[in-house]
Amino acid sequence: MERFGTHYLEERKLVQRWPQPISAIVSLVLTLAMFYASWWIFQDPRGYMRMYTPYVGYMYTRWWLIMLIWMVYIFNYWPFRRSWLENTHPLIKGVVLTAISVAILWVLIRGFFEALLGNYGIAYFNPGNLMKLPRMTEFFALEYASLACLMFAAIASWLSPAWVVACEEVPWQDMNQPGKGISILIATFFLSTLVFFMTMHSHMGILYYPWQSFTAITPPYWEKFANTVSGNFHVAWIMCCTVTVWIVETIWERFPFKLIRTNWLRRVVAFFGIIAIAWAMHFFLFFAQELTWGPAIRGTRLINAPDWRWLHVGEMAVFFLVPALFLNFYCNNWPRRFSLPVNVLIRTAITIVAAALLYIFYYKTSHDFLGTQKGFMHEQQFPMIPTIWLINIWLVHHWFMDNWPAWKMVPKTADELAADHAAEQAQIAEVRWNPAMGWGLGVGALCGVAVYFITLSVLPWLYQSITVIKK
Amino acid sequence: MSEDNVNISRRSFFKGAAMGILGGTALGMGLFSYSPFRNAYFPPVKRKMADIGVCKSIKVTNISETSWFENAVLMSDIKNAGGLLVNQYSYNWPPFGDGTGLGNGSYEKGIAKIKHLLPNNLEEAWAITEKLSVSPQNAGGFAALIEVEELDGRKRKFLLDSGWSYKWMDECFKREGIDEMLKNREIEAFIISHEHFDHFWGIPVTYKYDPTITTYIPDGFYPEGLQYLQDAGHKGKVIKVKPGLNPLIPGLATFVFAVPIICRVYGEQAFYANVKDLGLISITGCCHFGIVQFAETAYREVKYEKDQLYGIYGGLHISPFEDWDPKYDDLVLSLGKYGFQKIGCNHCTGLLCAKKFVEAGYPVVKGTARFRTKENNYLGNGDKIGFGIEI
Repeated sequence: MERFGTHYLEERKLVQRWPQPISAIVSLVLTLAMFYASWWIFQDPRGYMRMYTPYVGYMYTRWWLIMLIWMVYIFNYWPFRRSWLENTHPLIKGVVLTAISVAILWVLIRGFFEALLGNYGIAYFNPGNLMKLPRMTEFFALEYASLACLMFAAIASWLSPAWVVACEEVPWQDMNQPGKGISILIATFFLSTLVFFMTMHSHMGILYYPWQSFTAITPPYWEKFANTVSGNFHVAWIMCCTVTVWIVETIWERFPFKLIRTNWLRRVVAFFGIIAIAWAMHFFLFFAQELTWGPAIRGTRLINAPDWRWLHVGEMAVFFLVPALFLNFYCNNWPRRFSLPVNVLIRTAITIVAAALLYIFYYKTSHDFLGTQKGFMHEQQFPMIPTIWLINIWLVHHWFMDNWPAWKMVPKTADELAADHAAEQAQIAEVRWNPAMGWGLGVGALCGVAVYFITLSVLPWLYQSITVIKK
Repeated sequence: MSEDNVNISRRSFFKGAAMGILGGTALGMGLFSYSPFRNAYFPPVKRKMADIGVCKSIKVTNISETSWFENAVLMSDIKNAGGLLVNQYSYNWPPFGDGTGLGNGSYEKGIAKIKHLLPNNLEEAWAITEKLSVSPQNAGGFAALIEVEELDGRKRKFLLDSGWSYKWMDECFKREGIDEMLKNREIEAFIISHEHFDHFWGIPVTYKYDPTITTYIPDGFYPEGLQYLQDAGHKGKVIKVKPGLNPLIPGLATFVFAVPIICRVYGEQAFYANVKDLGLISITGCCHFGIVQFAETAYREVKYEKDQLYGIYGGLHISPFEDWDPKYDDLVLSLGKYGFQKIGCNHCTGLLCAKKFVEAGYPVVKGTARFRTKENNYLGNGDKIGFGIEI
C-alpha cells in the first residue's frame, strides 16, 4: 500500500551541508530575502499588488498558513507519493507544492467563502452583497468580508494543528489518506464553524446598523468581562492557542503532555492544557500592557482602548512563535544535551528573550522596511501579517524544500528510526517521579511564581528605560 | 552515597525545578493577571492640574467640515492606490497631481507643476492641478475659526486648519469673511491639527491672505509637509509643538498627541479651552486619538472650571467613511459617562455616529445642513456654536 507522504517529516533526516551557525544564517538570509521580495510584490503599501489594505492581505496570509497545515499535517502531502517527495529536487518541490497551496487557497476564498457561503449562507462573506447596504463603500465591503474570512481562519489555524498535536489524529490515526485528511478537515472545519458563531459572529452582527439582534447575540455576552463589545477579545486568546500549539509541537516536543501514558487522558489534557496555557498568556499579555500603558479605558481609541489591547495580545503572542520556529527549523531544537524539562525551559527562555527583541526591532523599523504605519497603535498596523507571512515562508522552506540549500534530505534507515523512537521513550522514562524531583518541582514552582511577580515589577521600569519608537 | 546517586538526584532536582518554573510562572500568569488583585499595581491617577487660565467665552465658526464630497470616490481612490497606509503624497490627488495617475505621484513631482503660482495665483494653480490630479472634484477641506473672549472682554482669533481644495476653501473663506480677517491680521495664529490632505493641503489659501501668520504644527511632520509650508509661500514663524500641553493664551491651550494616523501621517494637536463658570471645552480637527482619550487627558493634565467637562466641538474621528466597528459602539456607550453638556460634532464623526449619539440622548447641537453639508445632526458648513456665549 502506497503511504504517500505519511510520516515523511519524521522519517526524513536533514543533513547540514555546513557547520552551524552557517547553515542557520544562510537559511535566515535566504528566507528573509524571499520574505522581503514577496512582501514587496504582494503586501507592501508601496509595492506592486498592495494587498496590505490591511485585511485583504491578512486574510490571504492567514488562510495560506492553513493551506500549508492542511497539506502537510492533515493530508500528509497526499496525493504526492513518498518516492516523489524523496527524489525530487527541493526547488521543484517548493514550486509545485506552493503553487498547489495557492490554488487551493484561491478556490477556498473565492469559491467557498465568497461565492457559496456569501451567496447562500451569510451575506457578509461576499463583498458584492455588502455593497447593497446603504452608504457602504467598495473598500469597506471588501475589508469586512475579508475580516470575517480571516476571523474564521484564526480559529482554523488553531484547531487544525491542535487535532494532530494534541488529539493525535484520533479516531482516524490509523486511516489511510485521503480518508484521514478529509475526516480531520471536516471535523476541525465543523468545530471552527461552531467557535466562529460563538466568538466572532456577534462582532460581525454589530458592524451593521441597527445591530443584527435577531441573527447575532447583541450586545455580546463577553461585553462586561472583556470591557468591549469587540470580538478582538476572542481573537487574542485564539491567537494565543495557535501560538501555544506550535510551541508545544516544536520547542516543547509535546512536553509535558507526552509524559501522560494513558492515551485518552494525554489527548484530553493536551487539548485543554494548550487552551489553559493560551489563556494564561492571554491574561498576562493584557496585564503587561496595563503595567506599561496604564489600565485600558473603554471608549478610547488605539493604545488605551480595550479592544486594541486585546488585539495586541494576539500580536505580541505571534512574536513568540517566530523565534520558537526558527529554533526548531534551523537550529535543530537547540539545546538537546540536558533532560527534556531543562531543554524545554532553556528553549522557552531563549524564545522569550528573542521575541522581546524582535518586538522592539519590529516597532522600531517596520514603518521603514514594510511600509506599515509608524507607532504601536494604529488600527492598520498588524504585526501579525508580516510575522505570519515570514512563518509561511519558513513552512514552505522547511516542509516543502527540506531546508535547501543549507540542508540535504536523506531518508532515515530503519535502524535510525528505531533509535530515534528508543531515544524518545528513554527521554520520557527519564522524567519519573522521585523525591529529588519532588523537591525540585516545589522549589521550581515557587521560583516560577517569583519570576512572574518580578516580571510584573520590572516591566514598567523596562518600558520606561527603552525608547522603542522615537516621537 | 555514590557519586552516580548524587548526580542522579541533582539531575532529578533540576528536571523538577525546570518543570516547576514553567508551571509556577504559567500559574501566576493565569490566576493573577486578570484578577481584581492586579488593581493593586495601578497607582491612583495623579492629576497635574496645569493652569491654562480662564476665558469668558468661546465661539467656533465652521468654515468647512466637508473634507471630501463623496466617500465612495475617496475610498475607491484609497482602495485602488493600495489601502489606508499608502503615503498620502503618492496618491496623485490635488494639488500634487503630476499626470501619472493614482498611486504614482510624489510631493516633488506634484509641487513642481504649481510651486511658481503659490500662494497668490491659486486659481491658475488649481486649474493646472485639476487637469493633472486624480478626483480633483472630490476635494473639500476642514477649517474652523476659534474666537476667544478674554475675561476683560478682549477678543482673539485663531484659525484651525486650512482644508484641502484651493477653490473650495477660498470660496468658504470668503463666505465666512476669513479672507478679510487674515488680510487685516485679525487672526493671530494658524494652528494645523495634523498633516492630512483634507486639513493641511489647502494652506496656500491662508497664506494668500496672510503669508506671515505664525503657524503651529504638531511635531511629526514628514519632510514633504515641512517643505510644503515653505513652497506654499509662508514667510512667518513655524512652531513645532512637542507632544503634550502647549498653553497659547489665558484659557486656551493646544495638546499634541504622538499618534499614527492613516495615509502615513503622524501626530495631531487639538484645543482645550477653559471657560469661566462652565468648564472645559474640547475643540478638535479630526480627533484621531479619540474624544474619550482627550477627556481623560484633560482630567490628568489640566485644571478647569467646576471640574466639569462641558463641551465638544469638531470632528470626532469615529466613522469618517461611514464604516463601522464594534469599538465605535464602545465609544458611543461610554461617552455619556463623561457628562458633556453641549456636543457639536461634524466632519469625521460620521453621519451614522451622529445618529447614534442623538438616539443615545446626548446633547447634540443640530446644524442647518447648508453649503453641501449632508445632515443636520451635524454642525455643518457656516454653522456656529458658542460656549459661554449665545449664538
